Amino acid sequence: MKYAVETFDLTKNYGDFTAVDKLKMKVRNKSIFGFLGPNGAGKTTTVKVLTCLALPTSGTATVAGHDILENPNEVRQKIGMIPQMVSLYGDLTVKENIHLCADFYGVPEDLIESRADELMEMMDIKYAENRYVSQLSGGMKQKASVVASLIHQPDILFMDEPTIGLDPTTKRILWNLVEELHSEGRTIILCSHDMYEVELLCDDVGIINNGVLAAFDTPQALKDAMINEQKNIKNSKRSNIAKIVEEIQKEATPEESAAYDKITDHVEEENRDTRQLSVIISNLNDELFDQLKNLSITYNITKESSGRITLDLLDSDESVTEVISTIIMNNGIITSISTKDPSLEDVFVKVTAKKDESGES
Amino acid sequence: MVETKKLKWIFKKDIMVLWRHKPRLISYLLFPIIMITLFGYGFGGTVTDIPVVIVSQSSGPVTDATINAIKSESLYDVTDIINDPNQGRQMVLNGQDKAAIILPSNYDDTQSTTPKNVILDIDSSDEIVSSALIPTTQALFSQLSNQIGVQQLQASGLTPSAATSSTINVQSGNQSNILSNPTTSGINFQNIVNSINFQVNKLYGDISYIDFLVPGVLALVILFSCMFGMGESIAGERERGELARLFMTPTSIATVVGGKILSKLVQETGRAILLIAVAIGLFGIVIAGSMLLTLLLLVLVALCFVGLGMMISARVSTQADYQQIIQPITLPMMFLSGVFFPVETMPWIFQKLAYIIPLTYANDALRAVMLKGAGLGAIWLDIVVLLGFTALFFGLGIRGFNRDV
Repeated sequence: MKYAVETFDLTKNYGDFTAVDKLKMKVRNKSIFGFLGPNGAGKTTTVKVLTCLALPTSGTATVAGHDILENPNEVRQKIGMIPQMVSLYGDLTVKENIHLCADFYGVPEDLIESRADELMEMMDIKYAENRYVSQLSGGMKQKASVVASLIHQPDILFMDEPTIGLDPTTKRILWNLVEELHSEGRTIILCSHDMYEVELLCDDVGIINNGVLAAFDTPQALKDAMINEQKNIKNSKRSNIAKIVEEIQKEATPEESAAYDKITDHVEEENRDTRQLSVIISNLNDELFDQLKNLSITYNITKESSGRITLDLLDSDESVTEVISTIIMNNGIITSISTKDPSLEDVFVKVTAKKDESGES
Repeated sequence: MVETKKLKWIFKKDIMVLWRHKPRLISYLLFPIIMITLFGYGFGGTVTDIPVVIVSQSSGPVTDATINAIKSESLYDVTDIINDPNQGRQMVLNGQDKAAIILPSNYDDTQSTTPKNVILDIDSSDEIVSSALIPTTQALFSQLSNQIGVQQLQASGLTPSAATSSTINVQSGNQSNILSNPTTSGINFQNIVNSINFQVNKLYGDISYIDFLVPGVLALVILFSCMFGMGESIAGERERGELARLFMTPTSIATVVGGKILSKLVQETGRAILLIAVAIGLFGIVIAGSMLLTLLLLVLVALCFVGLGMMISARVSTQADYQQIIQPITLPMMFLSGVFFPVETMPWIFQKLAYIIPLTYANDALRAVMLKGAGLGAIWLDIVVLLGFTALFFGLGIRGFNRDV
């Protein structure tokens, strides 16, 4: 099976509102897929349809190789869900809830206890197994829910904003679990607004907006695409202005022509390809600052507090190396360095904003 | 201190929420209209139109006058006039009529001084009907007795004033109060004046009000418990996301619903047994019929109302909507089904409505078994109708069950 999930013009309407609009999407088997989108974009509705918790209005999908309309029970058997809209029974204990889910999934009786114990240990919730779910904190409920969702060892795990409201330690427990499940060959579909989480965990990312898939690729490819797009826009700007200036210069006087050259240079400068670098130098002094400012690759440099400087550099592979070498040769001590490439969050904002502007739905 | 602006917001918010939940709003407005209509037209406090059959074994002006007198009373709805006392009694036993007024064969013989034994065969299982019918019928025949006596005295040339002052001789129930009276010139004035001997024959013996209420209350308890319970069980779990957890698993709607029905049935049967035990222990009620049949009926009633609750909760998404929707269904059902007021005495439109309410059949069957000692043969129609309602509710419920979360 090549794809864990494949949708075919999947559509879900609520009255006049189209939540999911002819969605075509493929999730590679055994991958961690980040499913992103702004609030109300159709993520949760898509997940509901794929997990057979809602029927599509039209179109269909296959999940774990089974059609959601023709074989919903086979789909349900193969998937687990760590939910946003699903709860455990508050008046049952953690253990009772887990046993209930195990029986509903048909887990053999002799395996339930050991699996439950293993998962509870892994999620650090074993100590609360006999407590009523209604008495647990949000994080503990989420941990218990994870155990209940994994008790039947699903091939595909849907996680709908699983770390929302969780403390950093619990988040890390959950991320480790995702990694472990992934290493066991399971497919994870992760809906999240936490871009750090998505970048950290996901192999592929899909961004849904207004019910349609607006972007789909690996996180790095999406970021690269954004860099290339930005470069293309700048090139296009430069090229257009150069053409205009060339046309005007044909009939210009020498004085006017010199002025136009300046304009061209300014446009070139404004739209040149740069790379932003942020460095914290603990012993930054004026001499070192001037050295860096005078580098041929430095277009702009600003000094901030606590020894932090931000540089706009020529976009080449050697630029960063040259800056680091200069600092070291001047006995500068680097305590932090980072390039400011577009993040997944930038990609997300751009993709969703673009769709909004175009008015597509 | 009350902060006006915030107070206004809270008020406004509540009104907006009600306005935006249309099913809840409709039900909210409908409920008082239904209730006031029921009480205004149906349950004004006076019992009227009790179906009775007259058994007339004589003919003549006195019989005609008596029949006309009965017909003119709003209390009675004379369904038939027949001449076979056994048939009349059977009609009461069958539940066609609430009472049979049996006029004897010598009823029109004004010359005879032999007392005329008028018998009221009454369905004593219906306490409300009994308590209205017995005193009124007794008073009616006392009046008729006087009138006949006066005619007899006038015919014999005696003054009526002497007679009308005499004590009326009425035999009521199993007690005979024939008074010894003075005689004048060999004529027994008392016998002449009190020419009608009125007997009440309670077909199901003496049944107290608590006996009368228990079957209906049992059905009511089951109705409310099942209806409210299913709201929490389905709409509540749906609202909290607990139902979604079950529906995520490879489990059919029928399994989930079946489990809920089973648990509700066991709970309701247990409660019904408890209620019966308390009624027997504290109030000494007697179940005339089979205890097993009573319990089976209670299970069927519970099944039927669980089905109704399930049918409604299957489509609503919040418990608040469910509670508001069932209000105008359950409370009118309580008043229309004959638990407190006899169906036969309601205006015709309410009678028609009563026959499309399962509680009417539940009440009827439970009273028949518990008060009249009826067996399966006597209540089969009620059972068939209840089974039909149950199948309908489950069919529509499962069909309309919204698995979407």
